[in-house]
Parts: sequence; structure tokens; C-alpha cells
Amino acid sequence: MPGGDFHPWFFVIIAAWILVCGLGVVLFRKIVYSAVSMVFCFLGVAGAYALLNAELVAIIQVLVYVGAISVVVLFAIMLTETQGTEYKLFFNRQSVFAAPVAVAAAVVLTVLLVSSEIADVGEESQNPGLYRLSELLFNRYVFPFELVSLVLLGAIIGAIVLARAGGEKQ
Amino acid sequence: MSPLDWWLLLAVLLFCIGGFGVLARRNTILVVMSLELMLNAVNIALVATAQFRAGSPGAGVLFSLFVITLAAAGVTVGLAIVIANYRTKRTVLADRFDEMKG
Repeated sequence: MPGGDFHPWFFVIIAAWILVCGLGVVLFRKIVYSAVSMVFCFLGVAGAYALLNAELVAIIQVLVYVGAISVVVLFAIMLTETQGTEYKLFFNRQSVFAAPVAVAAAVVLTVLLVSSEIADVGEESQNPGLYRLSELLFNRYVFPFELVSLVLLGAIIGAIVLARAGGEKQ
Repeated sequence: MSPLDWWLLLAVLLFCIGGFGVLARRNTILVVMSLELMLNAVNIALVATAQFRAGSPGAGVLFSLFVITLAAAGVTVGLAIVIANYRTKRTVLADRFDEMKG
């Protein structure tokens, strides 16, 4: 069990939280319940980052996923909610094949994980602190940083173009 | 099993849950949400590996930040496509988007 700075039970609680909420996203019949379950799953993942000494990622996770992406998803659900009988069949036909494929992938990856020996250096933390991270981000990794902001700009323009193109047709 | 193995096991399970959602759900918004679960699983694996392995310090954390940014861009464009499709077809169910079916 992972330990170090914290008690192993923290890992068990966080892992159970993440997995239960993740299953809720996939299995809830009402999509609004799935969205709320997704928010709790993202919060659990932020807790996992905090346990891994990556406090910057934990904060960004809460800001971006819990704050922004969940709101966008909830807006999309409210804009597109369809009433009626369509939701009775909430899995599609290939779910009969999808469930064994997902379980098989999980089993294969777990067996690989257990059988392989990923040499880890031990319990002490390797993740650097905030000061060192910012130094790296604006020196060594400044090119991907700028590139990713370009991608974000492209996504914003693309989303506006997509949303406007539908409106002009009507 | 080492501590890293436990974290990677959590990532594997979350990834497969998300993969099942992508393959099995009919609602395209839920497909996007399951995709986000898969990206979160990859991020957990990245941060955990960076935590327990020496090497280039900070690379795992910084690349998980890049993944989060790209996930935000992806969910924006994906949901814009879903809403643009909803305008013309009045549905978000994946099996109704069958114009490209041969």
C-alpha cells in the first residue's frame, strides 16, 4: 500500500471514492446524475494529486475540471436535454461487447502491472515544489507551454465557429 | 506490490471504466465525459510515476498540466460539435448520427 507521508488508508479511501464515482458516471441512467458524479470523481482525483505531493496539479485540477469543464458539460446537458422515451435504452447495442472488452483490458493491464517490475526508487517524494516547477515551466518547457496556449486559442475559435455555423443556417 | 503499482492499478481501473463508457453509452455528452475520465486516469499515472521515479524531475507534473489544458480544449470542441449536431438533428444519441453510414 502506498504510504510515506500519509497513512495507507488515505489511499484506500481516495481510490474507492474515485472508482465508485467513475462507475456512477458510466452507470447512472439520468445524465445529470452522471455529471454530478463526474464532479465528485474529479474532486477525488484532485485529492489523489494532493497525496502524490503534486499540489499545483491538485489546484489546477479543481480550477479547470471542477470549475470550468463541469460547468461546460452541465450547460451542454441543459441545452440538449431530450424528454420522452428515448432514454429507456441508455446503452447502445455494442455494450454487450464493450463490457467484456473493458473487463479484459483491465485484467490484462493488471496482470502486466503485477508481473512487470517497475523499479521505483522508494517512498520519498520526487515531485519538485512550486518554485522549482515554475522555474522549469518558464525555462526548459517554455516551448510546449506556448504551443499549448496556441492550441487553446484554436479551440476557442473553433468552438465559436462551430456554434455560429449552426445558428446562421436557421 | 510497490506503492507505484497501487497508484498505477487505480489508473488502469479508472481508464477501463472510462473506456467502457465511451464504447457503451448512447448519449454523446456522456461519451465526452467518459473521455475525460480516461484522461484523468492517464494524469494519475503520469503524476504517480513522476513521484516515485527519479529521472527528469518535474516532467511528469508539467506534462499532466499540458494534458489538462488539451483536455479542456478537447471538451470545448467536442461539446460544440454535439450542440451543432443537436441543432440540425434534435438529438444527442450516438446511433442517430448515421449520415456517414455506407
